[in-house]
Amino acid sequence: MTRERKAPSLLPALLVCAAALYAAYLARQALLPFVLSFALAYVVNPVIDAVETRGVRRFHIVLGFYLTAACLLYLLVQYLLPVVSAEVAHLQSAAPAHLARAQKLAADLQGRAARHLPLSSLPLESLAAQAYASAAGQIRLLPSYILGLFPLLSLFFLVPFITFFLLLDGPVLIARLIQAAPSRYVEQALHLLNEIDASLGHYLRGILIVALAITAASYLGLLALGVNGALAIAVLSGVSSFVPYLGAVVGALVGGIAAFIQFGTFPAFLKVVLLFTGIRLADEALLQPFIARYSVHLHPLVFLLSLMVGGEIFGFIGLVFAVPAACIIKALLTVAWEWYLSQARGKGHEPRACVAVPYT
Amino acid sequence: MAWPRLIKRIFSDPDFSRKRAFLKSLELFQDLGFAELGHLAQSMHDRTYQEGEVLFLEGDIGRALFILESGKVELTKAGPDGAPRKLYTIAPGDFFGEMALLEQLPRTATATAAEKSRVFLLYRSKLEAILHYQPRIGVHIMTHLAQLLSARLRRASGLAAERPAAAPSGSGERLPSSDGGPLPAAP
Repeated sequence: MTRERKAPSLLPALLVCAAALYAAYLARQALLPFVLSFALAYVVNPVIDAVETRGVRRFHIVLGFYLTAACLLYLLVQYLLPVVSAEVAHLQSAAPAHLARAQKLAADLQGRAARHLPLSSLPLESLAAQAYASAAGQIRLLPSYILGLFPLLSLFFLVPFITFFLLLDGPVLIARLIQAAPSRYVEQALHLLNEIDASLGHYLRGILIVALAITAASYLGLLALGVNGALAIAVLSGVSSFVPYLGAVVGALVGGIAAFIQFGTFPAFLKVVLLFTGIRLADEALLQPFIARYSVHLHPLVFLLSLMVGGEIFGFIGLVFAVPAACIIKALLTVAWEWYLSQARGKGHEPRACVAVPYT
Repeated sequence: MAWPRLIKRIFSDPDFSRKRAFLKSLELFQDLGFAELGHLAQSMHDRTYQEGEVLFLEGDIGRALFILESGKVELTKAGPDGAPRKLYTIAPGDFFGEMALLEQLPRTATATAAEKSRVFLLYRSKLEAILHYQPRIGVHIMTHLAQLLSARLRRASGLAAERPAAAPSGSGERLPSSDGGPLPAAP
């Protein structure tokens, strides 16, 4: 059935969206714990939902999950704390030797370069001396840097607190949203929620799996290669992998340079680069097909643009959440366009044509 | 025996149990087990409609199946003169709008709450997720829908046979859609 209808105007909705985005930009600092909590709740929610199907009260499930997570975190800290202390102590004690070796390597490099290229005036020695002085100064300040991270600890308390309420009341919020939607547009509201959920949920869960996998694989690989500071490099690589494709690159560069300085040979650097290339290829072959199957597919240019805009406006957090935000915007636009078309033309998908044969 | 009852009272969610018990009472889902009904209950959204509120209009693109838990919903269709013609009154326990689960086509009738009504909605993509992750539930629902379609087609074929002059002979006649139509008993 086709009916000609008056096409509704999308302008008010677009103006409201633009105003909301501008308000979010102005309040971006205050929104950070909420954005992180929202992402965490999204990742954890399937676990809570799975238990809820048994008819258990949601409050008890969320509480049980928090207690379990606290126990696991305690065990993890018990294991990691000595490793982190040892790595920091080792870095402080071995840093002068490593820096001296780096200086020597720079001098050797200059010597080789001078033999083959007319670059005798290249100020490598002075550059290396400056770098040495700077790096030595920074390493002495390492404890104060670690203390400087303490303000960030507020996030470690605030994010789980907000996440608790999001997990507990998330379904209630959605139910209220559906109840508040104009009666005739409930199906459209469900359509929109579902589109966002499908792309965002899978993307966030997927990227967390990738980050954990890269961290674990990097740590084990670097330990096997005997590189000092394996945990720090693995964590850095894992955190970087929240920005698509960045994790393996950061891991290869930082790990490769660390191995080069530690062992003083190019093959050591090459081994670390090969390790991270292997991790990246394994991620592409094993994890990405599973993650991308249900995610919204963005055009590479849109992907790049969203990363650049996110990074420009919100910094590192903007880089991490650029793709999910692009997924939401794409879902909003898709649903709005479908709704606009259905309202304007009253058409859905094409019906099947072969219905002429009588039912027998 | 008091302890298990006390533990059950502390830990079990009464709203969820009520929703699951209602779904279990429906012919469409009565063969499903405890956990399967739990998955189904979680996949459904519910909404209360006040008297006179429109659930969907004839011509809207359908995307969800509606199950009436309480109240009354009227299905109407615009006649040749444009005036609404009453088709059927949905009673608690009936479901309607099921064709949206099979294809995204315009609704063939308008649904309006005749009194304050509570309705469960099963969105199309949720059914697809159920088919993927809980195939036993999905196959059960789809089988039931196919049986319903079959019953309606039998009736439509019977009506067409009774009025041969009304339908042009040959081909291409679109058989009536079941969406929004009355709910016959299984053949």
